[in-house]
Amino acid sequence: MAAVPVTCVRLTTSMQIVGKTSALKLVSMGRNKSGFPCLRTSRFQISCVAKPETVNKVCEIVKTQLALGADTVVAPDSKFASLGADSLDTVEIVMTLEEEFGISVEEENSQNITTVQEAADLIEKLVEKKNATA
Amino acid sequence: MALRMSPVTLQREIYPSYTFHQSKNLRSPKFAMASTIGSSTPKVESTKKPFTPPREVHLQVTHSMPPQKIEIFKSIEGWAEDNILVHLKPVEKCWQPQDFLPEPASDGFEEQVKELRARAKEIPDEYFIVLVGDMITEEALPTYQTMLNTLDGVRDETGASPTPWAIWTRAWTAEENRHGDLLHQYLYLSGRVDMRQIQKTIQYLIGSGMDPRTENSPYLGFIYTSFQERATFISHGNTARHAKDYGDLKLAQICGTIAADEKRHETAYTKIAEKLFEIDPDGTVLAFADMMRKKISMPAHLMYDGRDDDLFDHFSAVAQRLGVYTAKDYADILEFLVGRWKVADLTGLSGEGRKAQDYVCGLPSRIRRLEERAATRAKEGPSIPFSWIFDREVKL
Repeated sequence: MAAVPVTCVRLTTSMQIVGKTSALKLVSMGRNKSGFPCLRTSRFQISCVAKPETVNKVCEIVKTQLALGADTVVAPDSKFASLGADSLDTVEIVMTLEEEFGISVEEENSQNITTVQEAADLIEKLVEKKNATA
Repeated sequence: MALRMSPVTLQREIYPSYTFHQSKNLRSPKFAMASTIGSSTPKVESTKKPFTPPREVHLQVTHSMPPQKIEIFKSIEGWAEDNILVHLKPVEKCWQPQDFLPEPASDGFEEQVKELRARAKEIPDEYFIVLVGDMITEEALPTYQTMLNTLDGVRDETGASPTPWAIWTRAWTAEENRHGDLLHQYLYLSGRVDMRQIQKTIQYLIGSGMDPRTENSPYLGFIYTSFQERATFISHGNTARHAKDYGDLKLAQICGTIAADEKRHETAYTKIAEKLFEIDPDGTVLAFADMMRKKISMPAHLMYDGRDDDLFDHFSAVAQRLGVYTAKDYADILEFLVGRWKVADLTGLSGEGRKAQDYVCGLPSRIRRLEERAATRAKEGPSIPFSWIFDREVKL
């Protein structure tokens, strides 16, 4: 893991995030598969962190799939499993995301989706790729 | 939670294994193995020992049924005698493997064998892979009798216990024993397969056993067997149909006769579960949901031939492709059982029971949707060698 001193902003309720990219430093300090923190500043965009709208949409879909109450907090680093998702739920979440965003998730990638953030990041990557080839 | 959704990966637990991250890890002891008693620390080995058959990866739970429920099974022994044992066939009326094989004591024996081999020559390798896999499954019968005798309240305490449950288990085992014998002898005579490799696979499989996750509970146990018997009925029914298509009517008869046995057994087991739904609807629906959440694992999923670490996956991919046993069949069986046991009509359930009822009733369509998606994305499978057919290749 890169030893980069960063400002950590823990996002607890993603539903309240307002995406102001100019002012927002989004750092994922949680355990993600890549193992190092991602930085997004106003100067340049390294697209390894998804837009808040994407994260919100994923949270919505997860909440619907798992029939979670409106008061249940779904954070970007929430693991699907700890939200009560079984393996079937997880697959269905990915299927819904595919339909919602018009993308196709390859198996190898789908294995890496265990949290909201990971799903959102992958979605952005795939949408970008789709738009680039369109 | 890791996902793999290709049709091949849907096989491990008759068929929807929505998570398949374990498939490669079954033989790498990188995490606590069920067989490691007491230890919960992952073992890490840098090299895989040769000839290591796969092992169960889940934590093995025992005696999850509350002991007071054992009374239920004692109390319905009379009912079982009158309603379940009737599904056994008296031995004198039973078919024997010899009925379907060349008669060694007759002068026509060699001619009959020649004819059998000529018919078998017309049948493709891919069919034999499925038939061999089925035969190996049947030959692992000791594991299944063991499994029935792990169940609280109904186990055969002495090996010759006179209770209706024990009588059923022994007689069921005796009937099933003919299946493996018949298929073994047919395959031996056919000349199409490597008997030594098959026999080795059987030895490994019986040595491996299996944990169907029935936790010594007859509730879980009889739901599991209900599902299984229907699955084998469907599977053997399909191999019978295929054999007929290939022009081997005798083989079709063999598979069809085995299928008929399985149907009779399915009737018995579903009746027991129906009785449990009547006596204890809440407990039984919870058990049904529990088994479905854990997924119904195939009896031979730990199969190993000393060479292929993914033997079961490969075998079931072929079975899926040939339509002998598919993810759709899994959903169909589940839907059938939900209907058979009138799960949707259950009343007086607890909160947890209602959740279980909803889960089980909604599950078939979820599985179908999953399977449809996987089918549309199915890439053409590779051709891989199977030691059962002298390393000839079959497409997955």
